[in-house]
Amino acid sequence: MRVRPRLHLLEIWRGVATTSYNDNKWTWGGRFESNSVSDAQQLLCLMFPATEISSFGLGNPDRTEEATLEALANLGGAQKIPLLIVQVLHEYLDRYTADDGTPLFSGGSHFLSRDPDSPPTQAQLELDVVESFAASVTLMLATISFARSLQRSVKREEHLSSLRQLEERAGRRLTAAMVGLLRSFTINTFEETSRMGQALLRSVNQAGLPERRVVHDLRHELRDVIAGLRDEIQIGSGQSKGGDLDSPNLLFECGWSWGVIRDAERVPFFDLSQQRDGVASDEPYLYFTMVALDAIADLFTERTRRASLLDEDQQRLARALQIRWDLTQEYWAVLADFGPAQWPLEDIPWRATDEIESDYLSVLVAGVAMRNLVEVRADDLDLSRMGTLLSELANRGRITRRPTEDDQALQKLHDPGFQLPLVVSGEAIGPHLIWPVQDYAAVLLKRSARLATMLKDTDLYSDVLTLMNSLWDHLDLRRMKDGNTKTLWDQPSLAYSTLTRTYDQPSWQMTVRVVESLVLAAGLVANEPLRSDTLYNLTRDMISEAEHLLDQEFLIGADNAGPSMRRTIQSVNANLQRAKTILSKRPASAHALVSSVLLELDTLAAAREDSTWAR
Amino acid sequence: MLVFATSDKGGTGRTVTSSNIVYRRALQGSDVCYLDFDFGAPTAGAIFGIHTVQRGTKDGGLHRYIQGAIDEPQRIDVWAESERTSLCGRPSGAGELVLLPGDEGGSEFVVDDESVDRCVDLLVQLNDSYDIVLMDLSAGRSFATELALRVTARDELRSIPTRWLVFHRWTRQHVIAAHGLALGVGGILDLGKGFGHDHDELQSAIRFVRTVVVNPSSEQLAGLRAAQITWLRQMDRDLNQLAGNLGIGRLVTLGSVPLDPVLQWREQLITDSDTMLREIANPATVESFEALAKGLTDDWITI
Repeated sequence: MRVRPRLHLLEIWRGVATTSYNDNKWTWGGRFESNSVSDAQQLLCLMFPATEISSFGLGNPDRTEEATLEALANLGGAQKIPLLIVQVLHEYLDRYTADDGTPLFSGGSHFLSRDPDSPPTQAQLELDVVESFAASVTLMLATISFARSLQRSVKREEHLSSLRQLEERAGRRLTAAMVGLLRSFTINTFEETSRMGQALLRSVNQAGLPERRVVHDLRHELRDVIAGLRDEIQIGSGQSKGGDLDSPNLLFECGWSWGVIRDAERVPFFDLSQQRDGVASDEPYLYFTMVALDAIADLFTERTRRASLLDEDQQRLARALQIRWDLTQEYWAVLADFGPAQWPLEDIPWRATDEIESDYLSVLVAGVAMRNLVEVRADDLDLSRMGTLLSELANRGRITRRPTEDDQALQKLHDPGFQLPLVVSGEAIGPHLIWPVQDYAAVLLKRSARLATMLKDTDLYSDVLTLMNSLWDHLDLRRMKDGNTKTLWDQPSLAYSTLTRTYDQPSWQMTVRVVESLVLAAGLVANEPLRSDTLYNLTRDMISEAEHLLDQEFLIGADNAGPSMRRTIQSVNANLQRAKTILSKRPASAHALVSSVLLELDTLAAAREDSTWAR
Repeated sequence: MLVFATSDKGGTGRTVTSSNIVYRRALQGSDVCYLDFDFGAPTAGAIFGIHTVQRGTKDGGLHRYIQGAIDEPQRIDVWAESERTSLCGRPSGAGELVLLPGDEGGSEFVVDDESVDRCVDLLVQLNDSYDIVLMDLSAGRSFATELALRVTARDELRSIPTRWLVFHRWTRQHVIAAHGLALGVGGILDLGKGFGHDHDELQSAIRFVRTVVVNPSSEQLAGLRAAQITWLRQMDRDLNQLAGNLGIGRLVTLGSVPLDPVLQWREQLITDSDTMLREIANPATVESFEALAKGLTDDWITI
């Protein structure tokens, strides 16, 4: 694999440290001015690897690795770095907590207006957004575990109390973010004859079957999801729709909208007066659904459980989120590979029920469907189709193929990127908003890395690695080149000569996606290599032949034939033992060892045979 | 400032490292004096190149002073009396460098109130004349350590900044022993409390110095086989983890001295002519001594 996770993560950390900290001050903001989403992404570039990869840990200054310290040298030494991070995390919490204590998850400068002449209104800029809830879930979990770990190394009372405060504040924001996610979940129901219904049917009906039958089959496939949505959604948004689902002609979709749904019910376990009203329309967005699913998954990782990062209320909220997580995932997975013909997902680009279609949406659906493949223990064929799909998406995104002249893909996916229109329900409070997303290439890498972690077959694995390498080469080209921001993303014009816009600020959205991919890739590398069964069987037979030959040598007393012979036999024996020890985990290495053993033994046998000709 | 140099076991390079530290400190311009409190084996004279006291002095050293046999221990101006040419004559800008040797044939003794009084008098007096007064104590839990802890608990010395350096080699056994000596039962911290020291204050005055450290990624080890380097790196990682768990990790380490061929064969001061002119010692060794000499008086931050 050409991707070197450790090296690249250290490069990124160096970039983050030099870009973000100057004149003893933390600099917030990048391509977008400081807002709750970008700022969290900026911090996650540091905190995510620090929590996920043990050699990048910062919570125990005694054990911080030298290479890590070198990369972060601009922030200070081993003692100062963690204290500075504590200070910056406090600063983040200060910035996004209102005077009355209400946690703020506003999109701020990340909201763009569709009409360049009328900028978003102040009321719009202050709207909470799902991506901020999601980023906060991950960031606050990382903060809590970091604060706890640092408390064990710190002695001074002032630092200890600051850490206890940080843990407490992060816990509060985590609860608020979970509540936010519960209030932006949505079930959108529609008649099969409606425009949405028709759009959905067009996507799933790849075999061209009669509509009646497709509706029936789809509802049958989704029966568990329907029952779940009807019976289990009891707090937050999406409750009222559950009852309608039993009507046999009704179709639906579920997931997360872009913000708190208008009139969403407030959720217990958190100060009701601090749950702000939302205006988001009651229909799911694939992008925000994917973002929410990824964040919610962090709530029930083994690490979260083992370190008991969640308190009792949070565990209740997490269970409520997990129900939505399961149902949503299953819903999109059913949609993605519905029917007897080609998968709807393979009919690129994915067309959403609002009739927007994009390769980016295909990547998102693939992401959700892939999560589900793990749950259902998918076979190699499904995984292989997924791999083909991802490389097709890399082609279409002009990552592994050259763009044509005036290629639309570049604008639509890379710069300015995919632009999500944010629909408001009820009265408008300003111009139409859009949410720009430019991380197509990085998200593809992340999904490929995720797919690689699921593979058992060595051929497929090497195909996916090839794809990851090409994606990485592309991303590597797009790094910023100048000054402090060097090694960060994103400068698309470096990969595409037809794009002329250049940026002087890093995109934290793109950089954090790359960081997430690299963390996944690091996990991939840290595992034992995939085992080839053919090689295993072959090597096992070779070992048994070698053992037999060695026993023959012992039988004729080779180990008593002077020092030179003894050394040879000892080394042969040692290599053979080593080969047996590693056979089950690394058959190829065992094969190399046993080959050398067989060669050595054959030299002895050949010499003996030669000595017989003159008898 | 008073500095006590101690070590978990013999053979850690405590004496040679602390001698080099005061030497570097003198070159950096401070007036320093070195007290050879290693009562069992006072050999600092040899390191400073002062032949007449290479096994301790015959003219009344620290040992006899503490026991009350003489009124003034001998003081030797290293710049004037060293027989090593590269040490002769105080370089311009350098401070005083004075050695107070131990007595030849001296041995450990029981600490009584009078010896504590005499030691207090001496340290108060020396502290007035020098910027840094470094006492090289015998290895392990010795009478010298007990004397040092009792002396520093006295009111007369309360206002004088005091620091402890615990030298240990970078091996598993030494890390464990250094932890025991400083923080374990009957260790410095434990004993100190018994003599009236404040636990936290004393703990914040203790720093560890790693000696004979083999740095797996150094140029010096370019000759090792890849398998050896791999093994060393893994060992180094494990040791760091162990030290961190024992509370003697990076946060409380003042510095480390790399393995140096010269120091392996002969305990001596490493002068610039050893590194630059003759190139027998490594510049990295001198750099580590300089950093330690500087770090001695820096703020020691406890986070």
